[in-house]
Amino acid sequence: MPGITVQLPEELERIIRAYPSDKRYILAMMQDLQKQCNYLPREALEEIARHVEIPFSKVYALATFYKAFSLVPRGKYHIKVCDGTACHIKSSAVLIDQIFNAIAIRPGETSPDGMFSLETVNCIGACAIAPVMVINEKVYSKVSSAGILDVINGIRGDINDNAKSS
Amino acid sequence: MKIIVDGKEIDAVLGETLLGAARRAGIHIPTLCYHESLEGQGRCRLCMVEVNEGGRKEVVASCTYPVKEGIEVTTSTPVIDKIRRNIIMLLYKRATGSPVMRQLFQEYGCPQNSLQENPEERCILCNICVRACEELGSSAISLIMRGTQKRVATPYDEAAAVCIGCGTCARVCPAGAIEMTEKEGIRVIWNKAFAMQACSRCGSYYASREEIAHLTARKPEYVIQSDLCEDCRKRMMAEKIAVFVSE
Repeated sequence: MPGITVQLPEELERIIRAYPSDKRYILAMMQDLQKQCNYLPREALEEIARHVEIPFSKVYALATFYKAFSLVPRGKYHIKVCDGTACHIKSSAVLIDQIFNAIAIRPGETSPDGMFSLETVNCIGACAIAPVMVINEKVYSKVSSAGILDVINGIRGDINDNAKSS
Repeated sequence: MKIIVDGKEIDAVLGETLLGAARRAGIHIPTLCYHESLEGQGRCRLCMVEVNEGGRKEVVASCTYPVKEGIEVTTSTPVIDKIRRNIIMLLYKRATGSPVMRQLFQEYGCPQNSLQENPEERCILCNICVRACEELGSSAISLIMRGTQKRVATPYDEAAAVCIGCGTCARVCPAGAIEMTEKEGIRVIWNKAFAMQACSRCGSYYASREEIAHLTARKPEYVIQSDLCEDCRKRMMAEKIAVFVSE
């Protein structure tokens, strides 16, 4: 790819080059990158295009297609609010508003301190306990707008404790 | 082989599509996502026709359907017309800003309904621009995101390094959705500006410099007098022939 080449951290290059130069490994590369960096850095996507020898626009299309991937760094605590039919009826929109009131982030955004990010998902298959929220891998069931503040304050407490102890 | 389209017997070649054969015979089948230089995509479904194969009827997209011996095709039936009307209605509701879609909506007599309109949107996501760009060897644009967010764009909506500003995407777009402006020898498309080549004879701007360089590198045999615009090239040829004839 012509243009300015940004120096790619060796580690990311190693993740990508661990796979053969074949289109079918792109998703695996992206999953590893997402895990490593919490998002897909642009330089890494460009490196995938070079390594697999396909146009950059195709790699970008793939990266934006899947919700599991993010193009901006996600927070240390990634909040997923389910907005599927059942959760929607159970007022998941109120939860999203409540999160905005507490952390001032909207779906797709990350808080400036890099601690929280928010996204909506279309159903996590737990409609019986709607509305559902998932933070990192932990599931919170039947979340109320008051309950959500407790959860966020709890996490903030943890963050402060960690800051003090370290 | 012979196939029957709308009661008329026409010639078809093994391996070609129904749409190709019908068009060659002068039979009109409406399309949006089709361009004769590219393979059928079967995306817009406007080219749906009814195929009768030995008494078994089925509705197929003619742009991807390979011709078969002995098929009988009807290009317009109440069922087909309804399918087309629905497609046009839905695409119009999505891309209300497209004058082409507005006109089709009226032409097909689509009923008004309460579906939300999108006056800002002109793209019908037919993908023909992406296919054309790919075929020309640039692949500067692609369909990004998914679902209701899906749209055609360059990576990160930035000027793509590989874009040569040929404007083919805008030219093949059936909905007139791709913006391309030309002013004082500068063409702007996909957030990128290109200096254009002026014809050495009439002075009109006719192609971006990158486009000419791209073509010269890839298909040098097609490049004849790259310093002339299309009109002047024709004129030059005509003059040469005139001289030849008068001698």
